[in-house]
Amino acid sequence: MHADASSPRDRAPAAASPAPRGNATAAPRHLGAVVADRLLVVASTIGAVVPLGALVAMVVVLLVEAMPAIRYNGWHFLVGSGFDPGNFYGAAVRTGGIVHLAGASYGAWPLILGTLETAGIALVVGVPIAVGAAIFIVEKLPSRLAGIVGLALELLAGIPSVVIGLWGVLTFGPILSRDVFPVLAHLPNVPVLNIFRGYVGNGEGLLSAGLILAIMIIPIVAATTRDLLRQVPETTKEGAEALGMTASETFFTVQARWIRTGVAGAAVLGLGRALGETIAVALVSGSALSAATNIYGTMTTIAATIATQLDSAQGDPTGLFVKTLAEAALVLLAMSLLINVGARYLVRRSARGAALPIGVGL
Amino acid sequence: MEPTQRPGTGGATSGAAVAEAPTLSSREFTVGFGAATIMSDVTVAFPSGSVTALVGPSGSGKTTYLRSLNRMNDKVRNFWRKGEIRLGDQEIHGREVDPLVLRRRVGMVFQRPNPFPMSIQDNIVAGVRAHRMAKRNELRDIAETRLAEVGLWSAVSDRLNDSPFRLSGGQQQLLCLARALAVEPEVLLLDEPTSSLDPRSTEAVEELIGRLTPRLTVVIVTHNLAQARRVSDYTMFFQDGRLVETGRTEELFERPKSPETARYLGAELATAPRS
Repeated sequence: MHADASSPRDRAPAAASPAPRGNATAAPRHLGAVVADRLLVVASTIGAVVPLGALVAMVVVLLVEAMPAIRYNGWHFLVGSGFDPGNFYGAAVRTGGIVHLAGASYGAWPLILGTLETAGIALVVGVPIAVGAAIFIVEKLPSRLAGIVGLALELLAGIPSVVIGLWGVLTFGPILSRDVFPVLAHLPNVPVLNIFRGYVGNGEGLLSAGLILAIMIIPIVAATTRDLLRQVPETTKEGAEALGMTASETFFTVQARWIRTGVAGAAVLGLGRALGETIAVALVSGSALSAATNIYGTMTTIAATIATQLDSAQGDPTGLFVKTLAEAALVLLAMSLLINVGARYLVRRSARGAALPIGVGL
Repeated sequence: MEPTQRPGTGGATSGAAVAEAPTLSSREFTVGFGAATIMSDVTVAFPSGSVTALVGPSGSGKTTYLRSLNRMNDKVRNFWRKGEIRLGDQEIHGREVDPLVLRRRVGMVFQRPNPFPMSIQDNIVAGVRAHRMAKRNELRDIAETRLAEVGLWSAVSDRLNDSPFRLSGGQQQLLCLARALAVEPEVLLLDEPTSSLDPRSTEAVEELIGRLTPRLTVVIVTHNLAQARRVSDYTMFFQDGRLVETGRTEELFERPKSPETARYLGAELATAPRS
């Protein structure tokens, strides 16, 4: 009782609420309403603080956990290659105050590169297909069919990534390596197309992983684009038609401009998923800790490496391997945040002055 | 790139200002959706170079009829029609008529302002671009001319590249009128163009309509009888999907021939606020 009265948390509401007696100007309030008001304030404050707090806490914990690895690996971690935990059977060595196995050397550049490459392929392949699908669903399909296709799209978004990954290994990858990649490998030897030349491998590798990711972001981007297209006012489209515009002129005059910021936002969402996707990539990438030698080559990403290496990392008695994985996680987090913030900035800048009805029509 | 014109637009561009606007007319025109007949058996001519108001109670089919005049109903589901509509001596549903060219010749402005999500200048020249009616370096001048024509130039001359969505509703509607006029139509269809506007903007739109004739043939659907009386030379009264009466506006309002017209006008004018 004594302790309760002195705790600031209990005292604050009592001081702030209108005193029931002794304050003639305060209107008499129903107690329930006052409590409800306070609860709302408390709940919304918690709601506002929790996400930010979680982000900060995660960064801090990762940073603390990874600090020895950051100091040991130095810049080599970002630019170097090779994940060598050192001699598991030899004695632990101390360098610069950090205990590690003899010969331990960690370079995450192949993982960083792989993460960017797979996410890039996913965006380049996935976004056009998704936007095309959304346009087709909204503009061309009769409404009943559109409902069915839309439902299929949402179901696709809900498939667990491990299932997609397994399908990628057992079915999609082999089909690609047998029927698709050999054709791509014979594309003419000219810039851009020549990246497809070379040994096509067994269907586990960079392009397969990128395509699997593309399949995973298509539902997100397509469903968002479809909803955006449906919000385009009929009267604005009719305005274009009444000027004698063709269907495609109408589309590029009205719909395309109406949805483009939203589609860019959806692409950023998809990119976030592609950067962080773990298990499907781990299964399809071929799990090499080195960079892909060509577009079909085996490789890995940061997220996939954390998942596949954690088990053996825990066998490192010095703990440096696990701490290095924490550092890798930190790099992934930083990449995701940077790319998200950057993409948002670009979207906002391209929207400014381009007359997009932000907050008006969307 | 040399601007190329669509078939059918050639000549009309330069000739429109000189040549008299063509007469729009319909003969035994019936229109409906599915099992419903919206408007039946309309035989009427819209005198060229003048303003014709279509009035009548809500649901009388005025708007559906208006939208038939530039084939805006074509894509509406279950739409059907009988009879014919002629622009000059051309049947607008004819095989040789391209609806896109028809809509360039017969423009339309809607109830609510519907600017495109692009800059004010791009809005004005959107149709001009689509029909390749001008070179790229002429677009700004066209925008200025059209904005001046609708009386919007002084208000927006310093923000041609800004969003039209920051303009007032009245300014947006004037913008849409400028956009429709920029493709140099011969007929302009107005579907209650001032129903969402304040009185001052309404006045600006009405004043503009007055200046469009005799260059253009104007057809305006309105619920506001006082407006019909102010802006139109001819009035057509529709009720229950039929054309009841048509005549010079003054005559129709002063000495309606049909008792139905008299009853409607009497009831509406008695309750309408004086303006």
